[in-house]
Amino acid sequence: MIDQITEPLLLSMSFIRALFERTFMQRALITGILVGFLAPLIGSFVVIKRLSMIADTLSHFTLAGLSIGLFLLNIIGLPIGDPLYIGMIFAVSGALLIEALRSYYRNYKEISMPIVISLGTALSALFISLSGGFTSTVYNYLFGSILTVSRQFIYIITITTFIVILLIVSFYKKIVIVSFDESYARLLGINVKVFQFVTTIILGLVIALAIETVGVLLVSSLMIIPVAAAMKIGRSFKNTLIIAILFSEASVILGLWLSYVAGIPSGATIVLFNISILILVVIFKKLFSIQRVRNKQEADVY
Amino acid sequence: MRIKVDNLSFGYDYRTVLKNVTFSLESGDFLVIVGNNGSGKSTLIKCLLGINRVPDDKIFIDDIEIHDYRQWINIGYVPQKFDDFNYEFPITVNEILTVSKLTKIDEDQKLSILDRIGILELQNENINSLSGGQLQRVFIARALMNGPKLLVLDEPTAGVDSENIDNFYRMVNDLNAEGVTIILISHDVKTTKANFSHIMHLENGKAELTHVCEIDFGGDAS
Repeated sequence: MIDQITEPLLLSMSFIRALFERTFMQRALITGILVGFLAPLIGSFVVIKRLSMIADTLSHFTLAGLSIGLFLLNIIGLPIGDPLYIGMIFAVSGALLIEALRSYYRNYKEISMPIVISLGTALSALFISLSGGFTSTVYNYLFGSILTVSRQFIYIITITTFIVILLIVSFYKKIVIVSFDESYARLLGINVKVFQFVTTIILGLVIALAIETVGVLLVSSLMIIPVAAAMKIGRSFKNTLIIAILFSEASVILGLWLSYVAGIPSGATIVLFNISILILVVIFKKLFSIQRVRNKQEADVY
Repeated sequence: MRIKVDNLSFGYDYRTVLKNVTFSLESGDFLVIVGNNGSGKSTLIKCLLGINRVPDDKIFIDDIEIHDYRQWINIGYVPQKFDDFNYEFPITVNEILTVSKLTKIDEDQKLSILDRIGILELQNENINSLSGGQLQRVFIARALMNGPKLLVLDEPTAGVDSENIDNFYRMVNDLNAEGVTIILISHDVKTTKANFSHIMHLENGKAELTHVCEIDFGGDAS
C-alpha cells in the first residue's frame, strides 16, 4: 500500500530533479513548451479555415525532405548539416504546392492533400530505403525525439516562436478576417494571396519543427486536438486560443513527466494526453448540457 | 458614391449570366434590384464589388475604373448567405466588429452601431448561439463599421421576423437620408419598405439566357 503511494511521488521527484540536473531534460522541456505554444496557435487558424488535413499532409512531405537529407548526408556524403534543414525546405515547398493545387482544382480543393501526401510518402519510402532502411534516426522522425534535441534546434525554435508572435500581434485583425471570411477580407482591400503565402510558409516551418517533438505521424494532433477541445468550450475567439494553448502545454508537461517516469515514448504520451483532454471536454460538455436541461425542466415545473 | 456600369456582360465558364447591363447611380441614390432566382442579381453585385473579375472599362466607381479602384473600405457589403464565414469556431459579436475595422476602433461608434441595429445586448455573445436573423444583423453592423459611402445588401431580410424587417428598413432609409448610397437586392419589391429612388428588373431571356435590364429612373416606385 505504502509503496503504491510513494513510488509515483519518488518518481515525480526524480523527474523534477532531472529537470534541474540533466541538460537533455531542460532542452526537452523548453522545446515542448515552445512547440506546445506554437502548434495550437497556428492550428487554430488552420482549423478555422477547415484545413485540418494540411498538417498531416505537410508532415508527410517534410518526411520526404528528411529522408532525402539522410540520403545526401549518409550515402552521397554531402555536408548538408542537419537533414532538418532540407525537411524545412520541403515543408515550405509542400505548403506552396498545396496552395498551387488548391487554386488549380478550385471546386475540389481537398484533392491537393492526397496528391501531396502521396508524393511525400512515396519519396520518403524511396529515400529511406536508399539510405539504409529503417534506422533509429528514421524511427525518431516518425515518432519524435524530444529528448535528443540539440542546442541549435532550441535557437531555431525560439527564433521561430518570436517571429510568429510578432507577426500575429502585428497583423492580428487581418489574420482573423482572412481566416474567418476571405471574401470580406478581399473587400477590405487585404491582399489575401500574399497573406496566404506567408501563413503557409510559417505553417510549413512550424510543422517541420514540431516533428522533432512528436514525429511525422503525430504532428497534426499537436496542432489540431487542443483546438478541437478548446473550441467546444471557448466563449470568445481569444478565450478559445488561450484554452487551446493551456491544454496543449498541460499535455506536453504531463506527457514529458509520464514518459520519463514510465520509460515510454514521449511523443505518443503527449498526444495521448491531448486526446484524453479532448475526451474529458466532450464528456463534461455533455454532462453540463444534460444538467442544464434538467435545471430548466425543474424551473419550469416550480 | 457614383457608380457607372457600361454595357457589362459576364458569365461563368460557358454560361452567360449578365448581358449588356448598363446603368449609373449618383451619390445618395437608393437602388433596388429585383428579379427571380438565377436572374443574375448576386452576380451583378459580385461584379460591382470586384469579387467577379470583369473586362476593362465596364465598371467605374467614383469615376475610377474598377481595376484601379482601391478604396474598397468605403463599401459595406452584407452577403445573402454566410457560407463564406466560418462561424462554427467561437468568436463574439464584439470581436467580429473589432477586427472588421482595420484602423483604431472608436468604442462609442461601435456601441452606437450595435444600438442602431438593435443588437447591443448581443455584443458579448458567441455567434454560434445566434439565430439566423440575429446573425444577419451582426453582418449588417459589420458592414457599417468602416462608415461606408455605399452599402450593398443582398436579400437582407431573408429569415428576419416582420418586426425586425420594419426596423431594418427604417435604419436603411435613415442611412440613405444621411447620404449613403444603397444597393439592395430583393426577391419581391412589394414587400420592401425601402424609400428607393431607382429600381432595376433583372430577368432571364427565355431560352437564350439573355437578360432584359430595365431601369426606372422615375423616382419612388413604392
